[in-house]
Amino acid sequence: MLTRIAGGDIVDPVNGRSGKGDLWIEDETIVTAPADRAPDLTLDASGCVVMAGAIDIHSHIGGGNVNTARLLLPEFHKAHAPRPGATPLARLGWTTHETGRLYAQMGFTTVVEPAMSPAAALHTHLELADIPIIDKATLAILGNDDFLLSMIRDEASAGMVEDYVAWTVASSRALGVKVINAGAAASFKENVRSFSFDDEVPFYGVSSRCIVKTLQAAVGALGIPHPLHVHCNNLGIPGAPDTAAETMAAAQGLPLHLAHLQFYSYGTEGRRGFSSAAARMAERVNATPEITVDVGQVMFGQTVTVSSDVLRQFSARAQARPKKSVIVDGVADGGGVVPFDYRADFFGSLQWAIGLELFLLIDDPWRVFFTTDHPNGAPFTAYPEIFSLLMSREARAKVMEGLSKRALALSTLPGLTREYTLEDIAVMTRAAPAKLLGLKDRGHLGVGALADVAVYRKGEDIAAMFRRAAFVLKNGALVVEDGTVTDWRWGKALRLKPEPDKAMVKRLEAWHQQRYGLPLDALVFPDSAIGREEPFGEVECNR
Amino acid sequence: MAVAWVDGRNVPVADAADKAAELLSASFCPVFSLDTDVHGTRAAIALARRVGAAYDQLDGAATARETAQVTDKGGLFIAPGEARRRADLIVLVGALPAAHHDLIAELAATRPDLGRRGERRFFLIGTEAKAPAGVKAVRLSCGEGLEAALAALRALLAGRRTALPLRNFEAFAGALAEARFAVFTFCGQSAGTLALAMLQGLIADINRSRRASALHLPASGNGWGSTLASAWTTGFPLRAGFSGAGEADFDPWRFDVARMLAEGEADLHLVVAGNPKRIATPPAAMPLIVLAGGARPVAGAAVAIAVGAPGVDHDAVVYSSRTGTLAAVRAERPGVLPSAAAVLRMIAERLPQSEAPPC
Repeated sequence: MLTRIAGGDIVDPVNGRSGKGDLWIEDETIVTAPADRAPDLTLDASGCVVMAGAIDIHSHIGGGNVNTARLLLPEFHKAHAPRPGATPLARLGWTTHETGRLYAQMGFTTVVEPAMSPAAALHTHLELADIPIIDKATLAILGNDDFLLSMIRDEASAGMVEDYVAWTVASSRALGVKVINAGAAASFKENVRSFSFDDEVPFYGVSSRCIVKTLQAAVGALGIPHPLHVHCNNLGIPGAPDTAAETMAAAQGLPLHLAHLQFYSYGTEGRRGFSSAAARMAERVNATPEITVDVGQVMFGQTVTVSSDVLRQFSARAQARPKKSVIVDGVADGGGVVPFDYRADFFGSLQWAIGLELFLLIDDPWRVFFTTDHPNGAPFTAYPEIFSLLMSREARAKVMEGLSKRALALSTLPGLTREYTLEDIAVMTRAAPAKLLGLKDRGHLGVGALADVAVYRKGEDIAAMFRRAAFVLKNGALVVEDGTVTDWRWGKALRLKPEPDKAMVKRLEAWHQQRYGLPLDALVFPDSAIGREEPFGEVECNR
Repeated sequence: MAVAWVDGRNVPVADAADKAAELLSASFCPVFSLDTDVHGTRAAIALARRVGAAYDQLDGAATARETAQVTDKGGLFIAPGEARRRADLIVLVGALPAAHHDLIAELAATRPDLGRRGERRFFLIGTEAKAPAGVKAVRLSCGEGLEAALAALRALLAGRRTALPLRNFEAFAGALAEARFAVFTFCGQSAGTLALAMLQGLIADINRSRRASALHLPASGNGWGSTLASAWTTGFPLRAGFSGAGEADFDPWRFDVARMLAEGEADLHLVVAGNPKRIATPPAAMPLIVLAGGARPVAGAAVAIAVGAPGVDHDAVVYSSRTGTLAAVRAERPGVLPSAAAVLRMIAERLPQSEAPPC
């Protein structure tokens, strides 16, 4: 099947391609224009922008906590289903089916679920396998688990830690490793109620810093392309910028990714002790080239916070709107589901402004990633509006008219004039995520790339342009036309496959039997358990 | 071996699936009762979407009570593995199904090994609860039901007076004061919605200054597995139903399948169950489609198709109350009987205007 996307404005920063032209696709791959063959399918992209399919590096789309949120809040979906678009809750794409449809219609073709508990990997992959069209991937959570904390306490060799991380990544079919408030979930089980970077986990005497550094080293040594993905301590607390800055300093020249920095950029100035520290955080990011961050932009309206930072979620229960929540002390980690309604009041206005400040003050679009930490800051369906805010200072000014003036006075946002270009958007949502995750086959439109392509019809309304792609191709197949899914297919979960060390497997088998009274087989699963043909796609480690 | 029957006559499976599809197409209000694995549930929901059916757990009242605790209130919960390693005080709230007795006995035979190491102490709440064999537990009771005992315990721990004394309260208060992590087991089979809500209130109170959580030991492992699969597939737990346009809705009263059958709202009953003896004979005019184990026709069933048992005849994914999540189980004796999922998909393929199931 030969496809020609004709006459679009191509935006492909990786290959330095910019301007009007054709894009040719043979089956699943982008190819050079053939000399003497007519296309089987021509898509008229005149008046359109042509980009690679977008990649979301951090969006909670499946797994135990996400599903618990569905169970906790059936009324959200109930409000949505019969009248899409007509209620504030209509932006929450709840089912696996809707998640795939809504992402695809916006031109996203790969999405990473960033918080998979290894103990619930099968559940997570079953959900991801039911998300149509897009490819998925997961990050496995480590850093609150007894096996790792014990190894660190007992000064196990770096090689043993690497063997354990490799086994976890391989058995849970992950694309990388995430550490969430390192040590805090284990400490909370010992009734600790606050936990900072240099605090030690009771019983182990191991600090959060030490856990992060140990995992960072293991991830690097194993050649896992994505740097350790860190959810820092003290999320959402005024003064958290110090914690985030300490964590960045601890990177010590080696790659480290900090998630949803917006939630750590709350200063303590002003009468209410709540202000924007975004400028300071952005300056720190700009000065620390080994650091990448994603933003976790807040948008106004009802959402639900879903996090494995059980300590943070436990303390957030009092702010639950509606007033109900679930807190889980899991094996190794934990989780909390707390519904929340971001209002355009003093606090909400500042949170909204802080995220945009980070986007606009961090200079390098290759190091700041586009997320709302779905659904924590806002549902992913708010992305088109955020693109509009980044690309148009007028759009920002219009929203600011209705916000708390006192809040905005404590932020630099009103004075920021930067506007993202389409090239910046293509870097931030395509090229940079592919590079960060080690997905060499996507994120660009070069010859040989996987034909994941998004075509947007240009118009005055930037949000409308990004909400309903004119065409989307996934693996070369046309799946979206005029903003509507026209062809259903199943994507894959992208995973690494490091070879587990046999001695480590033996050790884990004995440990699991002794500590949990269960064989290791109770935790692992064959690919066939997913119930789909070829549910996984393999990504190479750097070696 | 005969594996499919139409009106009690042996037929090929394909013919039985044809007949099931025909009956489902003709039905105005089909209802499904499920007791199956995760892939069986996914296939059943896909079929329900196609034919506009409501679906529920077979004998689903207890599962619905457990679900209501999450949908209406939420709470604090702990994974079984973490309870084994950490709990030094375990409170058995109400009676537990026999399926969970091994786990309790195992907890009694082991000690917590995380945090401060020490003995594990057991208490029981409710007059009807019994400790599994070999487990020594002190009973907390006020002579009334489970709800009253939980209410009295919560009030006394908060320093309030109660109308009825709670036997052994002092012993419990002393044990709680010494405990590092208290775990309360619960099951919707013996605990009603009020008891479950009171229990979570009690746990929330304790967590103001100490740690405690609830261990969910479900009335039906399949019921909870289906609840999870239903949530990601439709956004709703069991007791959901589809409109003719394929849109799901959730209403634990309206889509209570037992109620719909008793009140004559349903006009077709499809049952997926391991044991055909659990299936009640329907009224004469009500077509019954049964997917169940066993090589005999089911009395009164318009269509019966024998299916394999998950984890026995075929590999499966099931909810494991031992790990608190979904688990892959290998077939003990791989056999020729198809899985419920395969038969349900076969029926869906035979519906008019067949299209690919959405899940």
